[in-house]
Amino acid sequence: MDIRVLRPSDIPHVQLANITNLPENYFCKYYLYHAMSWPQLSYVAVDVSRPQKTPYDPPKIVGYVLAKMEEDPADGIQHGHITSLSVMRTHRRLGLAEKLMRQSQRAMVETFGAHYVSLHVRVSNTAALHLYRDTLGFKVDKIEAKYYADGEDAYSMRMDLEGLKEQLLEEEESTFGKDEGEAVGDEKSGEGEGEAGKERKRKVKVGRGLGVGDLVEKNEASAAA
Amino acid sequence: MQPLSQKEGTLFRQIIKYYESKQYKKGLKAAEQILRKVPNHGDTQAMKALILNSQGHQEEAFALAKVALKNDMKSHVCWHVYGLLYRSVKNYEEAVKAYKFALKLEPEQQNILRDLAILQVQMRDYDGYIESRQKMMQARSSLRQNWTALAVAYHLAGNYKQAENILETYEKTLKQPPPKTDLEHSEAVLYKNTIIAESGDIERALEHLNTIARANLDRTAVLELKAKYLLQLDRKAEAEAVYRILLDRNNEYRAYYDGLEASLGLDRSDEGSKEKLVEIYQSYAEKSERTDAPRRIPLDFLKGEEFKSAADKYLRRMLNKGVPSTFANIKALYAEAEKKAVIEELVLGYASGKQANGSAEANGEPSDRFEEAVKYFLAQHYSYHLSRDLEKALQYIDQLIEKNPKSVDYNQAKARIWKHYGNTQKASETINHARELDEKDRYINTKCAKYQLRNNENETALKTMSKFTRNETVGGPLGDLHDMQCLWYLIEDGEAYLRGRDYGHALKRFTAVSDIFEVWHDDQFDFHSFSIRKGQIRAYIDMVRWEDHLRDHPFFTRAALSAIKIYLQLADHPELGNPNNNLDLDKMDAAERKKAQKKMKKEQEKREKEEAERKAAAAKKANAKGDDGEIKKEDTDPKGIKLLETKEPLEVALKFLNPLLEFSPKSIEGQNLAFEVHLRRKKYVLALKALNAAAAIDPENPKLHEQVIRFRLTIDGLKETDPKVSEVLNASFKLGPASTDLKKFNTDWQQKHSQSPSHVQSALNVRHILDNSSKAQNETDLKKLLELPTITTEQAVAGLDLLDEWQSEAGVKDSYRQAASEKWPEVTVFQSK
Ligand SMILES: CC(C)(COP(=O)(O)OP(=O)(O)OC[C@H]1O[C@@H](n2cnc3c(N)ncnc32)[C@H](O)[C@@H]1OP(=O)(O)O)[C@@H](O)C(=O)NCCC(=O)NCCS
Repeated sequence: MDIRVLRPSDIPHVQLANITNLPENYFCKYYLYHAMSWPQLSYVAVDVSRPQKTPYDPPKIVGYVLAKMEEDPADGIQHGHITSLSVMRTHRRLGLAEKLMRQSQRAMVETFGAHYVSLHVRVSNTAALHLYRDTLGFKVDKIEAKYYADGEDAYSMRMDLEGLKEQLLEEEESTFGKDEGEAVGDEKSGEGEGEAGKERKRKVKVGRGLGVGDLVEKNEASAAA
Repeated sequence: MQPLSQKEGTLFRQIIKYYESKQYKKGLKAAEQILRKVPNHGDTQAMKALILNSQGHQEEAFALAKVALKNDMKSHVCWHVYGLLYRSVKNYEEAVKAYKFALKLEPEQQNILRDLAILQVQMRDYDGYIESRQKMMQARSSLRQNWTALAVAYHLAGNYKQAENILETYEKTLKQPPPKTDLEHSEAVLYKNTIIAESGDIERALEHLNTIARANLDRTAVLELKAKYLLQLDRKAEAEAVYRILLDRNNEYRAYYDGLEASLGLDRSDEGSKEKLVEIYQSYAEKSERTDAPRRIPLDFLKGEEFKSAADKYLRRMLNKGVPSTFANIKALYAEAEKKAVIEELVLGYASGKQANGSAEANGEPSDRFEEAVKYFLAQHYSYHLSRDLEKALQYIDQLIEKNPKSVDYNQAKARIWKHYGNTQKASETINHARELDEKDRYINTKCAKYQLRNNENETALKTMSKFTRNETVGGPLGDLHDMQCLWYLIEDGEAYLRGRDYGHALKRFTAVSDIFEVWHDDQFDFHSFSIRKGQIRAYIDMVRWEDHLRDHPFFTRAALSAIKIYLQLADHPELGNPNNNLDLDKMDAAERKKAQKKMKKEQEKREKEEAERKAAAAKKANAKGDDGEIKKEDTDPKGIKLLETKEPLEVALKFLNPLLEFSPKSIEGQNLAFEVHLRRKKYVLALKALNAAAAIDPENPKLHEQVIRFRLTIDGLKETDPKVSEVLNASFKLGPASTDLKKFNTDWQQKHSQSPSHVQSALNVRHILDNSSKAQNETDLKKLLELPTITTEQAVAGLDLLDEWQSEAGVKDSYRQAASEKWPEVTVFQSK
């Protein structure tokens, strides 16, 4: 299964995966809106091993994350938002959702300087809740009553991306060498700089593989719980 | 332009504001107010027309817009509105004309220029687009987006040089480099980079990329481009370094591994490369416990013992973890018979317990998990078409279900086994059971509806779907499925109706599918301006290119093929267009007749019930609105009866056929049907073209064989009625034999393909066409084909269709069905009901 960024031609298949897996569905144009506004943020999991049957076979998309930046953040802080995430039942528990989420979060930081990422999840959705809270390190921000059309409540969750930002900065320096210009962290005026400065000392996940990063996040999550 | 007093002038400006903010009622009121004072004020009438149009009063709007123009021929507003109205009904040519008139009167009107430009790019009139964009840029050259848009216009037109120039010129006007966080800038320079590369100058593209890489915000794209360029330039060592960085960022993307292999000069088919390849993948596998790709990829290129030991390791790892998708991840290897055999041997070994030492030390649960995963793998293995043994599959899955009766996955797998048996009835029942085990999971619900449709249970399937649709939508669950562009459902629903010969409903669905593609095509419209504003140009270019071949999508092809088949039926049997007497009960056998009568009765009851419901709902729904606030009209032809009543089925069929031929010319079924349509339209040259295209794809295609013969007969038939045409066609028709040898040609062909059921069926059909006194013999031979060991159930069903075509007696069909049923006792279609 490949994990790669979503292309416009994937949209019909992402739409198909979405309406197969989830009750919250969207027109093609809404997907296009995401792909045309934040093309770096949405990712797909593709089953590349399927033998071609015709010259027109589309990619077989078995999972996707559709993501955006909040256009007018109420709190004035740049942040990402997960619009939709799902994986076909036949391909679950392979780690696809986690990988999709991580790629998207990375791009939120790299391209848009996101400080955190938010999402909504049904309070009854244990699989997703595990993924967000235990695997990725999201925290419940609040409960939104009757958020879903059928009356179910949602957890509004968010995950701080400052740690990731720090890690990416290190990575970037090893890739491109030290930047003589402005640092990535300070696009947001003084407040951003302060955060970045503070983070720099923590160096949570620097140089470690993501597998280890998980553990750190898990600890944080259980401390909060 | 007709002048207004100050008060009315203010009012007029308000109308525009109301229109733009969709406050139509207020807008109309203001317009009335002006018109009371100045009854023939063209601009006001035009604005009123525009608002009326937005409210759905199209005819009135057009009439009023014409009056407005008459009153004020020299008003650019009137012409602009006229154009907008045409645009809204998608008559783009007329809209362009109107805009151009408006611009003649008022060349500096930027909003008209913009509307014109958008239409031009939507219509792919790139020259026109360049011209408009040039003007817009000159009018406001301080705006970066105007330069970018002009570059886009040149780029789409294929003029890379000019596109680059334009971007360059703007960049030079920048006094100091924009801040690093300037996304528009970041994108624009990366866009320029892709233009340089597309122009073929990779060297310069790389050079340029190096100057912008550090500051660019799209890291992934920068690195991917850099790696690609380096590889193209054969700077392998540098390419390797970048591919390694990419893999550190994302180690589940085969394109990166491919790049790494290439930059190391490795070749999977070369023995000398093997060792190094294995080493590389191992090193990546060791980096992370959670990655699949570096573990799975070597199975693609390893052979023999090496393959066996790698496969063993991989399978154990996955099965020990109990990953249910292991088989899905492995089955592509079955294309190689040797690998298939090795895998089967390995997993059977695990099942027999002796070799399960991968999990031996683990106590209790994990070992159970391993055992279960092994059985689940085998159930899927024996269900898969390349390794099928459905009885074994059923045994394994039954063992699993016995232990885990509540497992959705196992019950779903069992349903799939029934499906592969051809027992759509049991498949449907079993999957419904699986669905009930987890009513909150839409995935299993979706599969359930699909299997129900495969079993021709249209209504039940919709009920299933309705558990997750927004049922308050206009049109209920089905309305929601249309709104949400749920193509798979519409297609499966249509195909089920088609199998039940409910052509009206079937056409309705296939038409809906085609309409959705139309919507998708129109969806790009707003992005022509949106994307320029947003500045994400590369994504936009990708979208435009995708839209250009949108309809090569298999969903479009499937719907189109079925729709065309129906239109051919309508052309051959015009009485079908009148659904009230389309059931020729006399010609049916007992089972069919009973079924048809039952169906008619059921439909009658349903009609009455629906009528009652509609009346009850009508009041409520009088002004139902959709999500977007647009007023949705109720469907006046839910059963597709109006579609069936068409007087020109073949011409309507072209709506499906032409895009099919344009975008999927390599679809042989498309070419087969093109022949049928054009032959009936007496467009012989086009029919011949389809034959030639089919022959180029597969000269031995069974359908082609039959069509070639029929075309020969057609040419011969034309000798008398139209000798000239016959001669011309004869001269260019190279595929078939001379008319005298047709029978021999057919027998030879049949001999050549005597072991292929589809080919023999085609030969029998040809024999029937050449001499219908051979009917009885053909029927016998057709039935005999069922004895061929290679025949599939699909081919057997095709035989049944042939009997229909030959108008065979009910008894003949029954006996065919019975023979098939003896061979495949589980196949629902052959079972007598
Ligand atoms: C939620 C969902 C996206 C997870 O996808 P996935 O690819 O199977 O998830 P992953 O394999 O990446 O799982 C990562 C982690 O999430 C947790 N998780 C995933 N599925 C779980 C389940 N069914 N139960 C408990 N935890 C689960 C686990 O901690 C898992 O790590 P592990 O496998 O090492 O134990 C998938 O179940 C899904 O598509 N569900 C339906 C749609 C949906 O609910 N989407 C979320 C809407 S907000």
